[in-house]
Amino acid sequence: MVDSVTTINSDGSRYFLYPADARGRFSLARRLSAYGLIVVYLLLPWIPVGGHPAVFIDIAERRFHFLGYTLAAQDTWLLFFGVSGLGFALFFLTALFGRLWCGWACPQTVFLDHVFRRIERWLEGDAVARRALQLAPMGPSKFARRAVKHLLYFFASLLITHLFLAYFVSLPELWLFMRAAPGEHWAAFLFVFIAAGLLYFNFAWFREQLCIVICPYGRLQSALTDDHTLVIGYDARRGEPRGRAGTPAAGACIACNRCVQVCPTGIDIRHGLQLECIGCAACIDACDEVMTKIHRPLGLVRYDSLAGLTGGVTRWVRPRTILYGGLLLLGIIVATFAFSSVQPANFLIYRMSGAAYFVGAEEVRDQFMVRIVNKRPTPATFTVSLEGLPAGMRQTGFLAPVTLAAQEELVSPLILLIDRKYYHGAFKFTVKVADAARTFSLARSVEFMGPDANLLTEDDHEKHRHR
Amino acid sequence: MNSQPQPPHGPEAEPALRPHSYDGIREYDQRLPNWWLNTLYGAIVFWIAYWFVYMIAGLVPSDGAQVDAAMARIEATKMASSIDVTNDDKFWEMSTNPVFVEAGKQTYNSLCFPCHLASLRGKSENPTAIGPDLTDTAWIHGGTPKEMYVTIKNGVIAKGMPAWDPVIGQKKASEVLAYILSYHKKGGTITLQAP
Repeated sequence: MVDSVTTINSDGSRYFLYPADARGRFSLARRLSAYGLIVVYLLLPWIPVGGHPAVFIDIAERRFHFLGYTLAAQDTWLLFFGVSGLGFALFFLTALFGRLWCGWACPQTVFLDHVFRRIERWLEGDAVARRALQLAPMGPSKFARRAVKHLLYFFASLLITHLFLAYFVSLPELWLFMRAAPGEHWAAFLFVFIAAGLLYFNFAWFREQLCIVICPYGRLQSALTDDHTLVIGYDARRGEPRGRAGTPAAGACIACNRCVQVCPTGIDIRHGLQLECIGCAACIDACDEVMTKIHRPLGLVRYDSLAGLTGGVTRWVRPRTILYGGLLLLGIIVATFAFSSVQPANFLIYRMSGAAYFVGAEEVRDQFMVRIVNKRPTPATFTVSLEGLPAGMRQTGFLAPVTLAAQEELVSPLILLIDRKYYHGAFKFTVKVADAARTFSLARSVEFMGPDANLLTEDDHEKHRHR
Repeated sequence: MNSQPQPPHGPEAEPALRPHSYDGIREYDQRLPNWWLNTLYGAIVFWIAYWFVYMIAGLVPSDGAQVDAAMARIEATKMASSIDVTNDDKFWEMSTNPVFVEAGKQTYNSLCFPCHLASLRGKSENPTAIGPDLTDTAWIHGGTPKEMYVTIKNGVIAKGMPAWDPVIGQKKASEVLAYILSYHKKGGTITLQAP
């Protein structure tokens, strides 16, 4: 019944599913793509790109490396484009293809279907054998199988969480943590074991409940999809009324229930599109297999839009896809602009502590501190130049270019003096920091402060009279 | 072929309905999943335990007390690693230690050179330099190491020498002093000069 969740009994207890094996083109393609994704996940921290792991979110050093592209903590604002870009991409893909993400790419499905369920299948057999084992009384054989299964589950969970931590601390550091006593890096240790415990619980017991009850993406479907969105559906016009092969006036569906048996979330796809459907395509393969056996056309259950399933034509271009696509495109353009505006250095100028300015016998003096951060993974030479200065100025500090090591930070004074004769009050000037190769420059406007020019002149006259 | 046994509330069983009806709209009366309810009960138990441990029994010190304790530890470490900055002999000893002097030179060459020049000779080398000579025998704010340390630490605000203690701290300030003292001899002449 579509008004209740199959996996929750009416007394609130859990109804465990034993999904049967589905075989077919989608199952094969999904398995291969999932192995590909798992390999990418496991390998990224091992592949060095530009002296760092391919993806290394270095929290300790506040440097974020993505395939040789390094961002600093100052660039965190770019995260906005990362997150909103993922959001728009998901909107766009959902409007076109429904829950493609859930069935093919979501870590929950990838790890559950292609790692944990495989372990279970290998140790406990197919759906019939698994249910029989569940009902069998606990004995040495059952205990041994269960113990090995749960050990393997926990080992797989540990592997996943260790690699996850490696994305943040890098593999050599992770290896160091692993060889040290747990107490020495207790925070990392706790994180890995608590996270592994959660994953173990999730993959061993919780499973489809995460998709059905917790994940918000499934709930958003009704707002993101429409009648022209590609979903997995049952062609009721062809299938109904159901009846065994040979029944007069019966539709194509022979009511073998194979599509229900393979469903990992326990729904009957013939009731139409449902919240629980994660788009795994197992029912397509199951139905196609049966249809092949009884020599009927394939595709009674297939990827199609609700419009297509009711005999209409799927419209790919429609206001919703144009809007989501437009937003995605806009996001990509703005993100490209934002990422290309990231400079390989950071520069700041501020007044030294103490008085704002100093009036000497000959000159008025302002003292600044300049802070330059080299964000590049290589040494770089920077020149500091001043623009918009009036006549009679001189400078100490930053007279020669400075060389900073990779990701080094330099704080050094810049002191400006103006001859009293040329001083006519406070003025603004520009400080520019450029690398020696002139590939970029950063500028900041600074005010040179000083006394009221008239007071300074009166003071000068006073001195002349006393001479 | 195996078939899934139908769950207890299979296709035939309609879920129970709540008695009320508004404009013909009825509400199902279905039980929440037990695991879901257990998270709620767990949260309630956690809240009571947390309230008891923190607010009633005081088994765990409050955040404020924890911060105070951490600050006290930091202060203690600072005190344990700080040196007696009134001990002239200590500074002279540091000035003959190449490690200290080299470290002081590094800091000097990034922060002090714009005014006192890389040669430390300031106005003696170039009359237009901002800072005075640090290698001669004339001293404006005192020429003993402990007086010089105070000058580095607190600066001479009226003249534009900033207070360096908040910027570089005691260790680096001592190293810079060691570097300056390496240009002098213990017991050398000190001439006090008017500002």
